[in-house]
Amino acid sequence: MRLTKSRKNTKNLMLYILATLVLLVMIAPYLYMLLQSLAPWHEVDRVFVPTSLSFRSYQWLFAGGAATLPRPWLRALGNSALVASVVTFSRVIFGAFVGYALAVLSFHGRRIVHNFILFHMFYPGIILLVPTFLLIRAMGLYNTYLAMILPGLVSTWAIFMYANFFRSVPKEVVEAARIDGAGELRIIFRIMIPIARPVTTIVFLFLFMERWIELLWDMIVVRDPAKQTLNVLLTTMFGPYGGYPGPLYAAGVLLTFPIVLVFLIFSRKFVQGVSLVIST
Amino acid sequence: MREVWKVWAFGLLVLGFVGMAQIEITFWSAPNPSQEVFWRRMAERYMAEHPGVKITVSPIPETPTSEAGILAAIAGGVAPTASENIFIGFGDELVRSQAVVPWNAFPGWEDLVKARNMEETMKSWIFADGNYYIIPMYVNAMLIAWRIDILRELGYDKPPRTYSEVLAVGERLKAVHPDKFLWLRSELEVPTWWQRWFDFFVFYYAASGGQPFLIGAEIVADDKAAVEALRFFKTLRDKKLLITEPLAAGFEVGKTIMTVLGPWTFPWWKENYPELVYGKTFVLTPPPVPDWYPADAPVFTFADAKGVVMYAQATLEQRQAMWDFIRWVLSNTEHDLAWVQITGMLPARDDVSTNPLFITYIQEKEPALLAYAANIPYAVPPIAHYQYVQIQELMGLECIYPVLVGDLTPEEGWAAWKAAVRTVLK
Amino acid sequence: MKLQKELRGWLLASPYLLTAVLFFLIPLGWSLSLVLFDWNLIAPVRIYVGLGNFQEALRSTRVLHAFVNTYKFMAAIVPAVVVVSLGLALIVHHLPRLKWFYAVGFFLPYLASGVAISLVVRGVLSYDSAFNAFLRATFGSAPRWLREPAWATLVISAMIVWKLSGYYALIFLAGLQNIPRELYEAAALDGAGALTQFGKITLPLLYPAFYTVLILAVGLCFGIFTEPYVLTGGGPRFATYTWQLEIYYQAFERFRAGYGATVAVLNALATFVSVLIIRRLVESWGVRKGFR
Repeated sequence: MRLTKSRKNTKNLMLYILATLVLLVMIAPYLYMLLQSLAPWHEVDRVFVPTSLSFRSYQWLFAGGAATLPRPWLRALGNSALVASVVTFSRVIFGAFVGYALAVLSFHGRRIVHNFILFHMFYPGIILLVPTFLLIRAMGLYNTYLAMILPGLVSTWAIFMYANFFRSVPKEVVEAARIDGAGELRIIFRIMIPIARPVTTIVFLFLFMERWIELLWDMIVVRDPAKQTLNVLLTTMFGPYGGYPGPLYAAGVLLTFPIVLVFLIFSRKFVQGVSLVIST
Repeated sequence: MREVWKVWAFGLLVLGFVGMAQIEITFWSAPNPSQEVFWRRMAERYMAEHPGVKITVSPIPETPTSEAGILAAIAGGVAPTASENIFIGFGDELVRSQAVVPWNAFPGWEDLVKARNMEETMKSWIFADGNYYIIPMYVNAMLIAWRIDILRELGYDKPPRTYSEVLAVGERLKAVHPDKFLWLRSELEVPTWWQRWFDFFVFYYAASGGQPFLIGAEIVADDKAAVEALRFFKTLRDKKLLITEPLAAGFEVGKTIMTVLGPWTFPWWKENYPELVYGKTFVLTPPPVPDWYPADAPVFTFADAKGVVMYAQATLEQRQAMWDFIRWVLSNTEHDLAWVQITGMLPARDDVSTNPLFITYIQEKEPALLAYAANIPYAVPPIAHYQYVQIQELMGLECIYPVLVGDLTPEEGWAAWKAAVRTVLK
Repeated sequence: MKLQKELRGWLLASPYLLTAVLFFLIPLGWSLSLVLFDWNLIAPVRIYVGLGNFQEALRSTRVLHAFVNTYKFMAAIVPAVVVVSLGLALIVHHLPRLKWFYAVGFFLPYLASGVAISLVVRGVLSYDSAFNAFLRATFGSAPRWLREPAWATLVISAMIVWKLSGYYALIFLAGLQNIPRELYEAAALDGAGALTQFGKITLPLLYPAFYTVLILAVGLCFGIFTEPYVLTGGGPRFATYTWQLEIYYQAFERFRAGYGATVAVLNALATFVSVLIIRRLVESWGVRKGFR
């Protein structure tokens, strides 16, 4: 008995070592980015770990250099946050609305709506890239925040997540609320959304992450540097700042670490909720 | 409390009037960082003198080239009032889609041409309809920079002139420093059309004595010169003298000893590699030529020349305001001097190598520019055809890359490019 | 009252219906008319070309590259991502403690913007990077990473595998946790070793998770854009050229709206048919093996 226990301990130890090594590999690009952004310029990319720390890249990024002006990095970060927040918030709310309608309410045409969403979901979105661009242009929204926000206000995935969850809520809960005289909106906000909290966490996180790193669409509809998201700005600076890898890494950190932070804050909830999402 | 509101309302009213009286115009500068610095400074100074105008300067969004960025903005109806960074072929494309307006229609155009001393220069910027749509900002005669410190170490006191001499230097370099290369040109294997300006064009123009690729829609290129230049590339690559892998800085750190250099690099060098000093660590020459090229003939090269256009989407009022601004910038020689100082590039003027204002500055501060100024007469402009993107993309796809990797001989590669371009031009 | 009930449902569903009409149905109709025209987005006139766009696209080498590359990427990405993510899931599953810590850590790559990671990859693979210097010092030479078609495909594939493995691992993990312990205990009593248990119990019972991961990964291969756009531009020699790059290139670099829309239609078609076939194959395989 003793022997097997110690064997088990060694096995566990090996497993932890393996897990930690794999973890290091998985986060190595992040570490690399961070370290290179803090490296003295002559060491950038030439060493894995800089011999000394330097904030020159960050300074340069925000203040500009001898022959360069700073780009609006912080503004772009703000734009990213604004677009991602508005879109995600709306997708969560509308996801709950439509999901509620599909799962709880009975009305004529519910099946049609349901099947139409299925059709929509499995339709490859790429086919719509050019015409949606033309539509945005025709609406006079080209080069505005709305162009980045409007087409993504509702997510079919979020609708299904909520619908699936709401179906598992006992009918009595809703009935009881109705008897108390609650309206549908009240039921959604006071009862359903609070119960659906794990779903909301997951939906929010996935959609927020997805929107944060969107490139193609944002690049197409916005040209104004004052409105560009950070991801787009960084893309357009690949060429012009090619000779300044250090500051580009600093910009990469600016793009990556806020989202990592948001995720880490919610990570416990994420892990708890994720199995629920995945099994559906 | 009431008073406070009154003051607020009054303030808003004033702001409203000022806002209404102000004309807003936008200027897109080249993505090259130092050019943005120049235009911002100009705009700030101008606005200080002319409070009725608000000029917003921002760099052209590269998605992934500045030409595509501008076309996308035009397509979206959000073109700036004016922008720089327009070369003659792109100008042709813009003129064809009626996206730009001619400068010579503005009153005072002749005076500006005289004031800026660019009567000769403007001759090469006239369009088929007799109008001037581009005001050239600069002309860079592309030159070859050599690490003279390393050449000296190898026992050479001056850079090689012909292909054979270059290869001899290369062999010696490899013998002494096996880990060094002659030339870093990672873009040579990439079909991006504008990269051809800074490799194949340079060597082809040198080998052909400045023979253009196209006249109108007719291919008139010198086949022998083109094939010779391609063979030179191939030999360099086979002998491992050419490195085509991405590398941020090769020449600067002495990993390679030769590079095609435009003067816009100087501001970057000053910030990052101050140890690079003209005459001491590097020298400039025209491009290498085939062995049969006469030693006493001038060597031609590529002229990287770009300028400013005004977009047709701007209102008449905006156009006038922009014209006033551009005229203000260009009729003052001090501004062109500031241009040289900030961007390191020579302004497109007839007097750039005679005007004491430039000469004094160049001799004292930037002697390397003397070489650029001296080579402007031998610098050949880009392909002016509006289908420049395809024509130059095909150079990389059909010709240079297959030749480099050995799929085609230089002769075959060149023939393939010509055949492909003929179908495009049809 | 009845009417009110009807109205409520439609009203709550209206946010979706509105955006679906505006940003799905209208563009869908529009794209069907676009494909018939040659139009550069700026010119006031469109030239009717009938099926000319399709003829051109079907003969285009660019489209052919995009089409073929998708399956190359699939061949590289799908098996790798399945193996890696299953491995990650097994590690987490067998850890006695700190499961969530490692699961979260493995998931972090999913947050990375393709742009930021391309920056890192470009730096790490640049000729005189510390990594390549190490390779040359150890093995005498380093691959011409982004300049060799096969390597470039592998690099882009590896980036995508890295990004998605942690996410797909969560799917496998959920599957693993749904397998009742008793099955293993019973098998152990019958004298089955760890490997037999894995082959006879774990793998078959994970079939739904396999299915999900497979379909997700296959679908993803049709939408690769950011990494090659920033890193290789689709090169070398179109080795990393994708459908989305071609659509972007035609519609937003060359401004051929009609042709771009045509390529998009072909892309959608290829995706649809491929996903359908792969689905069927996996499903019938599952049925034959008795997994479902």
